[in-house]
Amino acid sequence: MATINGYPVDRIDTLQSIELAEGVEIYLRAAGPYVRVLAYLIDLLIRIGVCVVAYFLIMLFSLIVGGNVAQGLSMLIMFVLVFFYYVVFEAGKRGASPGKRVMGLRVVDTSGAPITFGQSFIRNMLRFADGMPIPTYGFGLLSTLMNRRFQRLGDLLANTVVVYDRLPLMHLASLPPALESSSPGVVLTREEQAALLAFRERGGMWSEARRIELADHAQELTGRTGQAGMSRLLGMAQWLGEKH
Amino acid sequence: MQGKEFEEKNHARWTEYEEALAKLEKQGQQAQDVSRIPTMFREVCTDLALARHRMYGVLMNERLNGLVIRGHKQIHRRAGSTWDKLFRFVLTDFPVAVRAEWRLLIVCTLAFILPLVGVALAGFYWPDFSWVEAVLGANMMEDLDMMYGSPDDQISNLRDAYGSNFMMFCHYIWNNIGIDFRIYAGGIIACLGTTFFLIYNGVFFGAVVAYIHVACSTEAFYTFVAGHSSFELIAMVIAGMAGMRIGLGLLNPGRKTLRRSLMDAGKKSLPLIFGAAIMTFIAAAIEGFWSAQAMPPMVKYSIGIALWLVCIFYLGLAGKHISVRSAKKERSSIEA
Repeated sequence: MATINGYPVDRIDTLQSIELAEGVEIYLRAAGPYVRVLAYLIDLLIRIGVCVVAYFLIMLFSLIVGGNVAQGLSMLIMFVLVFFYYVVFEAGKRGASPGKRVMGLRVVDTSGAPITFGQSFIRNMLRFADGMPIPTYGFGLLSTLMNRRFQRLGDLLANTVVVYDRLPLMHLASLPPALESSSPGVVLTREEQAALLAFRERGGMWSEARRIELADHAQELTGRTGQAGMSRLLGMAQWLGEKH
Repeated sequence: MQGKEFEEKNHARWTEYEEALAKLEKQGQQAQDVSRIPTMFREVCTDLALARHRMYGVLMNERLNGLVIRGHKQIHRRAGSTWDKLFRFVLTDFPVAVRAEWRLLIVCTLAFILPLVGVALAGFYWPDFSWVEAVLGANMMEDLDMMYGSPDDQISNLRDAYGSNFMMFCHYIWNNIGIDFRIYAGGIIACLGTTFFLIYNGVFFGAVVAYIHVACSTEAFYTFVAGHSSFELIAMVIAGMAGMRIGLGLLNPGRKTLRRSLMDAGKKSLPLIFGAAIMTFIAAAIEGFWSAQAMPPMVKYSIGIALWLVCIFYLGLAGKHISVRSAKKERSSIEA
């Protein structure tokens, strides 16, 4: 498998690697359909709420300025809510509609930079196509499932991605260092080295049986199974850590 | 060097950078001296590259990754005054974009005009209301009767109530700009949505024209639509061009990858749909506040024709010198 910096390219997670002008790569975590549907529902509730409040305000207002003006205003509010609610919020400083903010999401350019007004406009006008056949968001869902960055049609046209704004801190529990370090005896690739180190770093999260089960996969390297294989694997991780 | 040592050595620098960033994110540029931030940002970039190469572990990588993303967001922002952009857009970018897509302009105009003329002529020569009714519906026909029934009960009578002009203005914004946006979005479905809306609107308007010629007062109708027709119809066709552009990005990627082709199509469609929305807004203002005013028909017709000419000359000529210059520059840079 091809790798970049020890991370496999055919990834099983949703991390997106992006190379910056500064020559370093960052990883953004693309958000999938589930969390985005929740954000959509929150935004929908907010918009309905605004409609209800605006309705009562306009009822009051119509006593002063007359029914026609009030009716006109209500249409303007509808226009803004339907067409520009998302556009304005996502082009803004935080790059997210209120619903997305609640879910910890953000819309960025595929280069990781904040999006422009134009990009926000495109991706949100295309909601009418993504939302088809109404009310299923079927086209959008299909599109998100057909590419790695979970982009719906609007995202593809605007070149945007919905990502987790702040990556949640990983829950790691590292195993205590092995008592003795032992050389693997063969040259390991970077990816294999990374796997060994990750095994030690995450080992504390699993039960003993699970650790042994995983260590058994490296039987060819350790030459042993069970408890003994696992300690030898940790010894090698220790050895690798010292070498750096 | 061990991961721990690396972290201890650089810890102070990272914290300083993180604090400066947090301040910048909260209070903006005025609050502090920002001149050191780009340097610190590049240092952290190097740290991330080192940490990753030396495999210092997920925790440190994640932390540095997060720090770099936050710095990137702050440093790579796009600048430019909004008014500047708006002026340049109206004076050059929009008409230049329309002319650049002249093939789509022809296609979309025909997709709208042919059904309109066809249906209108058919209705004119075979005034059989059953099929006009099939297109318009009984309610719409009643509305037309009410609005354009005879020159005496013009729309101006319906607009006597206070605020009704404003209400109609808002209605046209909501309805007509909304139609533009749907025409645009429909394009991504392989141009089908856009084509459908254009043809449908052509048939509909054709039926309206036919019905009015047969059953209502043509003067009431044409004096009303004279003022805003130019902006409204041209804007609809341009919205259609924007939709076709994104549809073609999907259907005809050429030598680009599909992803790249869609991206470029999105970018190209943007000035078209923005311009269409602005023109429809102007049309809504005219239709709301001016079209229903009672005036001699000749005044209305002349202003209507003048506005058509303004639109055509604007789209045909505005920004021409600049686009020629930039095209020349492009050509010379290719040759170089």
